[in-house]
Amino acid sequence: MEEFEELFHDSFESQEELLSEYNSFLSTFERLDQAAVPELSSRRKAQIFKQSWQGRPQESSWFLILLDFFRKPALTFAIGIVTGCILMSVVMNDSIDLAGTASADELLEVEHTRYSQTYKGKIIDDFYSEFENPEIVVEKAGETAPEQRTFHGTLDNGEIYVVWNL
Amino acid sequence: MNQQYPVSDEALIEAVKKGDRNAAAWLYNRHIDRIHRICCRIVLDPLQVQDCVQEVWLKVFRNIDRFQCSKSFAAWLNTVTANTAIDYYRKWIKHDNHVGSDDIRARAMTTDENPGDRKLDGALIQQRIREALEKISVNQRTAFILRYYEDLPVAEIAETLGCSEGAVRTHIRRSLLALRAKLAGKLNQ
Repeated sequence: MEEFEELFHDSFESQEELLSEYNSFLSTFERLDQAAVPELSSRRKAQIFKQSWQGRPQESSWFLILLDFFRKPALTFAIGIVTGCILMSVVMNDSIDLAGTASADELLEVEHTRYSQTYKGKIIDDFYSEFENPEIVVEKAGETAPEQRTFHGTLDNGEIYVVWNL
Repeated sequence: MNQQYPVSDEALIEAVKKGDRNAAAWLYNRHIDRIHRICCRIVLDPLQVQDCVQEVWLKVFRNIDRFQCSKSFAAWLNTVTANTAIDYYRKWIKHDNHVGSDDIRARAMTTDENPGDRKLDGALIQQRIREALEKISVNQRTAFILRYYEDLPVAEIAETLGCSEGAVRTHIRRSLLALRAKLAGKLNQ
């Protein structure tokens, strides 16, 4: 009755009218209560379950794990970047030194003093490969003096010292 | 209903997600009667109901990975059932092979679940109610069935059908008025 009142409260002016309307519904409710639903037989229930269960996607566990792994966008992005770098490296025909590539400092070391700068490292070694311990020194005699560039290196296991004005 | 079983729906769902067939069977047996009842009252044709019920469970097992255990499984299941049954009914109505009320009546009278030895009065009343339910729109019918027969709160029905609570109340009110008109006239004939 409360719910009926809630549903029809705006349709009737007085409580009597509402009650009268509710009474007119009683036989309808009685009829509706008789509307029984036939039960499914156990055989049909089992059949429906079997077919429904078989109809679900049959994914293997390793596939699910792989799928879950790639569902993480940040991880997928990172893997994409690494894969891209490897592919680029292969395309550029340059092998990757995964053990650790030389850092910028090792490629070119610079030693600073007040009036001089000494450059050495892999780049200088490669450029002057015929010399031992090659280095380039840029120095000035004073604050305002012009720069002077010289190459220093040795030959024959240090027996010959080379100084070369550049 | 859950008090009958020591294992919660959520625990069963976790097992089902891992592919446990027994857990799926437990879950299925726990809810199948309610699902069948709802489908029966929405779809109305006894021959179509079983296909509809199967479609519901196919969807449940296919999409159970998406179900979040923080929500009520029964509410999720109600939503899947109601929407599947509504879609099923609409497709069936549009289908070329759609049959009329007389055919449905004949099926209802001869189907296994409705033995012919029942009293004619009972069968006739069932038929009248079915016809009356068929005359109201499927959305109105669903709202009415979920409230009147399944005793779901209006708010849950609104969420299930994707409409406002006011719309659900309107559906139920119109259903009641239509059913009273149909049943009063027919049953007195």
